[in-house]
Amino acid sequence: MALKVAQFVFLVLSAPLVRGTIARLKALLQRRRGASVWRPYAELGKLFRKEDLAPTSASWLFRAAPRMAFAMTVAATAFVPVITSAGMISFTGDFILLVYLLAFGRFLLMLGGFDSGSSFGGMGGSREAMVSVLAEAPLVLSLMALALAAKSSSLAAIVGWTGAQNFFNISVVHVLALTSLLFVAIAETGRMPVDNPTTHLELTMLHEAMVLEYSGPSLAFVEWAHAIKLNLLAGLLVALFAPWGIATSWTAAALALALLLYVLKLAVAMAAIALLESCVAKLRMYAVPEFFGIATALSILAIVFTVIMRRQP
Amino acid sequence: MSKGMPHFTSVAFSVLFGLPVVAALLACIARFAGKAARALRMGAAVGTVLAMVAGTVLAINAWAQGVPLHFDLSFFSPLPFLVSLDRLGGFFLFIVCGVSLPAVVFSFPYTEHHYPQPRAAWYWAFLPLFLLSMVMVVTGATVFAFFAGWELMTLLSAALIFLEGDGEERRRDIFLYLLTMHAGAALVLSAFLLFSPDAPSLDFASLRAAGLAMPAADKAAIFLLAFFGFATKAGIIPLHVWLPRAHPIAPTPVSALMSGIMLKTAVYAFVRFVFDFLSGGPAWGGYLVLAAGAVSAVLGILYAIFEPELKRLLAYSSVENIGIIYLAIGAAMLCRSSGVQVFAALALMAALIHSLNHAIFKNLLFLGAGAISFRTHSLRLNELGGLLKSMPTAGTVMLVGCVSIAGLPLFNGFVGEWLAFQSFLGGGQAAQPLPQLVLPLMAGVLALTGALAAACFASAYGAAFLGRPRKAEVPAAKVPLAMLLPLVVLAGACAVIGVFPMLALRPIWDLTATLVPGGDFQSVAAIAGGIQKVALITLAGVVAAFVVRTVVRVAPTWACGLAGLTARMQYTATSFSKPIRTVFSPVYRADRKLEILPENRPYFPDSISYRSTRTLSYEKLLYRPVVDAIMATAQQLRRLQTGNIQWYLLYIFLALVAMLLLMRFR
Repeated sequence: MALKVAQFVFLVLSAPLVRGTIARLKALLQRRRGASVWRPYAELGKLFRKEDLAPTSASWLFRAAPRMAFAMTVAATAFVPVITSAGMISFTGDFILLVYLLAFGRFLLMLGGFDSGSSFGGMGGSREAMVSVLAEAPLVLSLMALALAAKSSSLAAIVGWTGAQNFFNISVVHVLALTSLLFVAIAETGRMPVDNPTTHLELTMLHEAMVLEYSGPSLAFVEWAHAIKLNLLAGLLVALFAPWGIATSWTAAALALALLLYVLKLAVAMAAIALLESCVAKLRMYAVPEFFGIATALSILAIVFTVIMRRQP
Repeated sequence: MSKGMPHFTSVAFSVLFGLPVVAALLACIARFAGKAARALRMGAAVGTVLAMVAGTVLAINAWAQGVPLHFDLSFFSPLPFLVSLDRLGGFFLFIVCGVSLPAVVFSFPYTEHHYPQPRAAWYWAFLPLFLLSMVMVVTGATVFAFFAGWELMTLLSAALIFLEGDGEERRRDIFLYLLTMHAGAALVLSAFLLFSPDAPSLDFASLRAAGLAMPAADKAAIFLLAFFGFATKAGIIPLHVWLPRAHPIAPTPVSALMSGIMLKTAVYAFVRFVFDFLSGGPAWGGYLVLAAGAVSAVLGILYAIFEPELKRLLAYSSVENIGIIYLAIGAAMLCRSSGVQVFAALALMAALIHSLNHAIFKNLLFLGAGAISFRTHSLRLNELGGLLKSMPTAGTVMLVGCVSIAGLPLFNGFVGEWLAFQSFLGGGQAAQPLPQLVLPLMAGVLALTGALAAACFASAYGAAFLGRPRKAEVPAAKVPLAMLLPLVVLAGACAVIGVFPMLALRPIWDLTATLVPGGDFQSVAAIAGGIQKVALITLAGVVAAFVVRTVVRVAPTWACGLAGLTARMQYTATSFSKPIRTVFSPVYRADRKLEILPENRPYFPDSISYRSTRTLSYEKLLYRPVVDAIMATAQQLRRLQTGNIQWYLLYIFLALVAMLLLMRFR
């Protein structure tokens, strides 16, 4: 149990580092030197020391929303297995709770955006709502497809099942579900080509517009939660699709190997994100539904293939 | 009275059936009582509350006893009128009596404030009887008892809608309501009567016995009649046209009762038919119910997003929630017919707990809407704003309601959706390929519905309660405690069931086991532990986040460096939903009207008015031919009506001869 708690704390604390590393890799790809990978920590520290500006129109919900959203995201992290083969919380159907916890956080931030009393908050919330509406079905369907392929309904069991398979035996269900989940993860974490995490131009903002009015510690919670969400989804994808090497026994050697392998796998994922973000341009907002159309079609195909695979002896 | 039945059960039944009648009589006297009128209305209200309490106690007793409780009221009735309370009936009796209590309490200050004396008296004459009619539906154990309740429920709710006001359009809406309800009732009655060749009498016990021995074709016919009959009452799309018209125009507590509770009587009756009388229904029935549920859930919430008026939005969201319940019922039927009993039980539990949860949060939201209109005299979302500051208690409990109805975890709406997801996933283990494919795909439908509901209620709540007020003059009418208390109780129930779902799941499990045997309670219990751990982590996270030392400074909202940010510049509910409406525009096919005055100055107009309404094309497409056919037939039938009595005698004679011939040569 202590190790599972450590894994959970590790995911929460390492989140800003992941963000910083992606930013650094992107800078290197664009032939800039870039800031240190530790910069997000410094930024959080700075924000925590600043004062919290609340707009005149705001109610108690304005300050509560980012804190509650942060707590929801942290709680969702407790489900993710990255080093040991089970998360801190694990039960049948846990992935549904994980998906809905993330939805709760987003719901709260939308309300926070409304409460700022300017049009930016509402605008960002409105766009975020559209993205979340389109992303929910492919997210659930691809997780469902994996659960069906593994014939179990908890993340730990799915990870365990995939880990027991030979890499070259991996089914088409996994390929389809992975592609679909990648699309969703990109959108959920507000990255290119759905959203641009570095922009502050109102025409292009989604997430950033929603939280525009936040400052100081409130903003720190928003930013940290956002980083945790990225770390969580990256960890989840790694665990679901490349669990090989995850610690199934409690020996120090197994754990050390698992940690090392996880860091390597995550590094590949981060490099992929940096490369992708440097190569593609942000989609026009009304092209985003087509992006999700592909993701939804892939996730439906994944479900179809779970049935087809079952037919074969 | 059967032997060994505790004495207090019959007392409770007498209170449950007697007090509403007494209360209605008191209210009728109140019309002529002058000074004592208020006391008499109060007496009627107290009587209603006591009757509902008796019903709640009976419902809990029915669960605890585990054997059906009987009560015979045939003495008061021309046909056998037997009341029986098994666990299924008891569960829905709990919804009808227990969950309606807050709405009854809310009604008293509401009617005293809104209505002149005579109308308030009428209200208290109808309301107890309306509740009694719903009690009759869920406890009736003969066709007569059930059907008397079913009809009274329609008529009394129509009467209550009339109390809110009169007018050409309202009459049309109420006419439509009564018309569709009676069409549905005709189907329901036919479904009951189709049992009669096999059943010796029309009480539920013989229907159940007949259902076991019946040929498959008869069963299929009964299933179809019951499906369409109850779907009309439940507001399944496309039979829902009456719902968004009739529900919002009722007095607010009655809207709450109609949406939150009356629709559940249709769910009760459908579950009773399918799982009790027809032992699971035909194998293809599950697909029909799933399709109906999926269409209602997605379209219902999409239409809700389009609505700028809170009560209409809530009415459409009822269509969505009934859709979710039907999805779960369909999954239960399909899992049952494909041999995965464990998940059939899960799915039925999902349907039942979502019925309870929807009753709770829909009552909360409608009553909250009543509190908003009490304070602001408006329910148009785009005219409200900033209400959380001026009405903090109502605003906070409404937030609980919105979170619950969006199906977010730690509140009750999530529990039902989680169970439904589990059963969809389990359906993937069925033996045949079709359910293997269809059930998991329904998870996508449910996920889409959930995300749309979250967007819908974020927009409604944000527009009404957050930001700055759009209407400057909020009348300083303080919402009385008697109106706030029911809201707080309902919100508390949402949170308690959300964090401790076992409180509701344990009785529902006992009930499900009587209808779909072979379930597995362990897999259900898993969610409770998971949710409680998450609740702990979240609580710790929130506490830790608030402990961080912060200096708060209130400052004006950033306005791009310019002065003069006004409330009208905020995003409204309509602008919030714009991207979603654009993405789903083929569903709406909005009818837009843009008027710029004067026309010769398009860039510097004096006024611009813009209207956008959802097209009702498929409703027209579906109903127009039916209405036309009925009208054409009626025109033809008019020729029979000569007004000459000899002709009518001839008709009677011919009918008699035809009947005699039919009986002779059958």
